[in-house]
Amino acid sequence: MTPKIEPTRPTATRPTATQPGTAQTLAAGETQYADIRLEHVTKDFGGTLGLDDVSVAFEAQRVTALLGLSGSGKSTLLRHINGLQKPTRGSIIVRGEPIEHASGRQLHKLRREIGFIFQHFHLVGSMSVLENVCTGTLGSLKGPRLSLMTYPKAIRREALAQLERVGLADRAFQRADTLSGGQQQRVAIARALVQRPKILLADEPVASLDPVSAQQVMELITRISREEELTVVCTLHQVQTALEFSDRIVGLQAGQIVLDRPTGSISTDEALQIYSRVAPVDARELTAPL
Amino acid sequence: MTLATESRVESLPDLPRQPPPSPQAVGAAVILLGLLAAAIWSTIELRINIASLADSVANAQAFAQRVFPLDFPPLGELVSLTAQTLAIVTLATLLSVILSLPVAVFAAWNTTTGAVARGSARTLIVVCRAVPDLILAIVFFRIFGLGALPGVLALGLHSVGMVGKLYADAIESLDNGPQEAIRAAGGGRTQQIVSGIIPPLMPQLIATALHRFDINLRTSVVLGYVGVGGLGLAISDAMRTLDYPRGMALAVAVLILCVVVELVSGSIRTALMTGGRPTRDRGIAGLADRVSAGWVTGGPGASRAGAPGRERLVPPWDSARIARFAAVAGLVAIVVLSFVGAGFSWEAVGYGIATMPSTLSQFVPPGGLDILPMLLRELLVTIQIGLAATLIGAILAIPIGILAARNVVANRAVQTSFRVLIVVVRGIPELILAIIFVVVTGLGGVAGTLALAVGAIGLLSKLVADSLEETDVRVQEALRASGASGVQVFFAATLRQAAPAFVAHLMYLLDVNIRSATLLGIVGAGGIGFYLLNASRVMHFDVVTTIVQLILAVVLVVEGLAVFVRRAVS
Repeated sequence: MTPKIEPTRPTATRPTATQPGTAQTLAAGETQYADIRLEHVTKDFGGTLGLDDVSVAFEAQRVTALLGLSGSGKSTLLRHINGLQKPTRGSIIVRGEPIEHASGRQLHKLRREIGFIFQHFHLVGSMSVLENVCTGTLGSLKGPRLSLMTYPKAIRREALAQLERVGLADRAFQRADTLSGGQQQRVAIARALVQRPKILLADEPVASLDPVSAQQVMELITRISREEELTVVCTLHQVQTALEFSDRIVGLQAGQIVLDRPTGSISTDEALQIYSRVAPVDARELTAPL
Repeated sequence: MTLATESRVESLPDLPRQPPPSPQAVGAAVILLGLLAAAIWSTIELRINIASLADSVANAQAFAQRVFPLDFPPLGELVSLTAQTLAIVTLATLLSVILSLPVAVFAAWNTTTGAVARGSARTLIVVCRAVPDLILAIVFFRIFGLGALPGVLALGLHSVGMVGKLYADAIESLDNGPQEAIRAAGGGRTQQIVSGIIPPLMPQLIATALHRFDINLRTSVVLGYVGVGGLGLAISDAMRTLDYPRGMALAVAVLILCVVVELVSGSIRTALMTGGRPTRDRGIAGLADRVSAGWVTGGPGASRAGAPGRERLVPPWDSARIARFAAVAGLVAIVVLSFVGAGFSWEAVGYGIATMPSTLSQFVPPGGLDILPMLLRELLVTIQIGLAATLIGAILAIPIGILAARNVVANRAVQTSFRVLIVVVRGIPELILAIIFVVVTGLGGVAGTLALAVGAIGLLSKLVADSLEETDVRVQEALRASGASGVQVFFAATLRQAAPAFVAHLMYLLDVNIRSATLLGIVGAGGIGFYLLNASRVMHFDVVTTIVQLILAVVLVVEGLAVFVRRAVS
């Protein structure tokens, strides 16, 4: 395969994101700067709070797992990072840019740098696998694309290269709905990678998969994010998966952060507490820095 | 056994009181009972009974004698008439699809730009549906003169009322995932729609267009009476000169054409909705797949599209791509032929547009107030025809529909033959039925009612059978497992589940019948349509406007009732 993924683009923009005053949300001993920062973000869904005064930062090139029951606000948090939802209050800074008041054009630009992986893959079943991957580049193309052949050749080549990377190049011209769930999710990963993202957001990427496929998909996500030096925020609801694949775990309950520590310092029991119906006796006990 | 059950019931604590029915449910019940009473009254008022039907037997015999032998036109003429009809219908359907797509995008809540855009698009759809194509045809003929264009515009615009609505509904019921994925990757609105919405809907969009093609084909024959070219115009000319053998021969041609088109479009629709996945490995398609697979893989064992130096960025010519390519090429060829065949006169178009203001001014202000009482009387007859036709149609069509449902009738042969009956009746344009009944029962409401009632078999029976087949079979299995007989299962599980759909279908039938009743008036099947045609023939366009207003009012009221009842029962 001729085209190899170039190393990620220059890192010149990175230091601008480093801000003083975010240290308390960083795990102790971390020297990473924050790629994504939420400050006092509240999302009010007409009476119920999806997010309740959340302040959190996600360091560059780290894999953070968001754990919590359904309805705890993890998906809402994720969807605020790429502007699919707007906060009621608070500010969100992604790669140095505040995005809570961003215009449509700014949001499109931002989203091009953020790959998003969905629980239900969100592929068009009747389209070929390759064309599905190509749709990831629409943000940087002008105008609509009616078929695979209307994408520039360079993009088709890049899409095929990304398919090769997730091990599905031989399925390029098959209909997406002829693939298994795990394969479809890998196609969705290729679709996100073809954007050349800096950030990868994954919303329950393995919740609809069987255990073997889930393992494969998580391994793929973590391997590629290491190779591409991606900042990954991934919602999960399997504690074991989070413990195995993430660098850091953030637990949410009813829109509030109740746990935030490096993965190595968290026991399975502690992580499982996020799923207890009642809030832990003292949430601060769990969030306190080591 | 019974005793035991009773004593068990007695030992139960007081059952909670049943909650009172909602105002909507009461309203819907009142409307339905009112409509039923009105339909019975209409049937009596129109003198549709056994005696008057018996009187017509002699007419039928006389008619048969005058019709046979059928006098078919020369083959060349027949082919050219058919081609003309098909060209107009193709272009009209194409126009409706082209107009409906953007309208539907704005009308669907998940793709619209805002409440104003959505409201305007929805209104546009309702207006297109409410204005009968007959009226559009009269207006467009006045503007553009004779030719294919007025027919194409009239059919095309009116079709937006159905195609636009079905497209919008399809978009709204779509899984938004792919659209959201493109949005999350920074894609714009148009890109989201073109890459995320249209492709998964493609089979449905094509199926809807084909369905509308069937309907437009039938309507185009009716519009022949106001000058839309092709078979309809030829029939209208023949009937006006009382040349029944020629007229009925052409009617037979229309019947055959409709059945053929129905069968072809039906099989394409079935293939679209069920197929698409390449599973065949035999036959021509399988051969094409194997050949193209050979190109892609370059022999067994080689890594396919990704092999170094052999990367393939163009989809292989497998059977699916060949089929797609052939379909698109065929469609383009048909459209081009239709354009050529329809023979637009661009000068006439230019002249029509230039003189449009003065032409349209002939339609205002509404006139003919001196004959308003008579118009109202005829409007009432139209409504009576619609109501009576729905009642009689339901009595005929519901049993047929039940017998055609796969999960009700165990005997495959019985079920299939009723399905075939439905397809055949669907193939008969109501116009042909109306012409026959006009000759047999004489001018007036009886002919229109009977034509529409028979036509209901094609429409309602199919809907009834489909909604019975869509019921949840697990409920039926549960009852059967507890020892219920087939009849018990049918009433307790199947019919009970399908009942709301039945009510909705009946309201739809009433809606359709009232519109058609207006249309069929032009062949003398009773009601206000006759006066509409005459007013336009003698160029009293102000009277046309008055009649249009009356029809629109009735159509909107019926539509409103139908929407209310459908919401209340669903």
